[in-house]
Amino acid sequence: MKQPILSVRDLHYVYGNGQAGLDGVNIDINEGEKIAVIGSNGAGKSTFFLNVNGVLKAERGEIIYRGTTITRKNLKELRKNIGIVFQDADNQIIASTVRAEVGFGPMNLKLPKEEVIKRVDEALTYMNILDFKDRPPHYLSGGEKKKVSIADIIAMKSEIIIFDEPTVALDPLNAEMLEEVLEKLSREEKTMLISTHDVDFAYRWAERIIVFCQGKIIADGSPLEIFQNEEVLKQSNLKQPMLLNVYESLVQKQLVADEKTYPRSIEEFQKMIQAIS
Amino acid sequence: MNEMMLLLLCGLLAAVFLLAEVRQHNHAHEGTHHRHKIGHKHGEGFVIDMHAYASKISHWNPTFKVILAIVTLVLCIALNNPCVSLAVLIAMAYLTMVKGGLSVSEYLSVMMIPIVFILLGTLAIAIEFSYQPIGQYNLHCGFFYVYTSQDKLKEMIFLILKVFAAVSALQMMTLSTPSSEIISVMRKAHVPTLIIELMNIIYRYIFILLDVYSKMKNSADSRQGYCDFRTSCYTFGGVAGNMLIVSLKKANVYYDAMESRCYDGEMVFLEEEKKVAAGQIIAAAIFVVLLLMLWWFTK
Repeated sequence: MKQPILSVRDLHYVYGNGQAGLDGVNIDINEGEKIAVIGSNGAGKSTFFLNVNGVLKAERGEIIYRGTTITRKNLKELRKNIGIVFQDADNQIIASTVRAEVGFGPMNLKLPKEEVIKRVDEALTYMNILDFKDRPPHYLSGGEKKKVSIADIIAMKSEIIIFDEPTVALDPLNAEMLEEVLEKLSREEKTMLISTHDVDFAYRWAERIIVFCQGKIIADGSPLEIFQNEEVLKQSNLKQPMLLNVYESLVQKQLVADEKTYPRSIEEFQKMIQAIS
Repeated sequence: MNEMMLLLLCGLLAAVFLLAEVRQHNHAHEGTHHRHKIGHKHGEGFVIDMHAYASKISHWNPTFKVILAIVTLVLCIALNNPCVSLAVLIAMAYLTMVKGGLSVSEYLSVMMIPIVFILLGTLAIAIEFSYQPIGQYNLHCGFFYVYTSQDKLKEMIFLILKVFAAVSALQMMTLSTPSSEIISVMRKAHVPTLIIELMNIIYRYIFILLDVYSKMKNSADSRQGYCDFRTSCYTFGGVAGNMLIVSLKKANVYYDAMESRCYDGEMVFLEEEKKVAAGQIIAAAIFVVLLLMLWWFTK
């Protein structure tokens, strides 16, 4: 069996006010997986991400990255290899030019300057924003800031990239851009975790879904398993994805043969409809 | 002579008001087409910030620009010579407008910011009061006289010239060098790291705070938060208190975001190396020598 890239064992985290943030989280993440993390507000998704990144220190439990248990000493290794793209780009952008901003992570990794410059250029080219290099972040639009915040993480060459509710506050065009970037990243076998409230997106994109509820993982499985499990959906206040709903209704009315094809995108659905007519 | 003085004073005052008016107009106009979210109500600082990024000489080496500006400033004050001042004024205007590509009206509007202070300051030198009609020129104002002399007026004008020349040297720097680069020059000059980091963070934070403030203000405004003076005061207090809480929260989130990118207590930013052309150094050296010669021959 393949060794998981990241394992979390019995992770407990308590907030300063005594409230439990995480309550015994266990999970194995394999290399190259596309994972959607869903759950209602305050279910512990962001707390989980910050714990996994070593920013928040867990009360109990361990994090194992590529076979090594993370302690205080090798915390930096964890941060180097796991990057978080924060929900609000304005909470992430710290420098006053795009160049300095994207270079912030690599500079902190104490890389030689030539390497930093190379990585910054690569990351900006990757996100298609090379001509923003000298612009200050306060004259960028929301979508442009998001691109910069993703370039930040790409420049660090993290193996696991975490996106905290990336589609929030993006217009449809920018959301499409984001999905293209995700597509590009998954072709490079990056491991990705995305927290989202958009079940349609999760159904379409993810290979695996983790459902958080009150600091616990209540379900972990393929999108189909999760979204057909009414118990889980009810507990975490989620709805079924539109396409799954439509497909099941069609099957129920016997308009479509029950072949368990389960189209995941509009394109697949259209193809299925074409095939039967 | 009295009427003459009165006319001069009126003219000066009118000019000040006119320029202030032009400036305001310029800003209202600018607000509509540039990209900053709170364009219609930003202060002078942001206009300068915008110009610095748009300047055609922003690719020049920042250290060179800062040194040139400071040397010019020091010469301007130390030599104390109207011809030198005039030369500096012209040279800096040339650099900012012709080389930097700033429009004349924008340059004037930026240069006019300190005019009220300069006029008030220099008027006190030129004008004196007395109960007797003395001095070369005097103006009867009820029971006292305002008087001055040609020498005093000349002194005032030379002083204005000197101040404007000094201001123009510094404006050349600020209108062509983004703040982040000025900070990096200060870092190279071994200003303590703490101050440099603070400057970097403050510069970034100004815009975030303004953004947050304008959002809060708008939302309060949409709920009749500024309907009368009493309510306005109350709302202002509420917004200010809320800003503090939000800043504390944001500081926390920021710290998390920095830590997740391996921040370990030392903030180092990537700076672009901008090469300084030999021609620029030679031109600057010639300029300084010319100023010294000008001073020598008109001493």
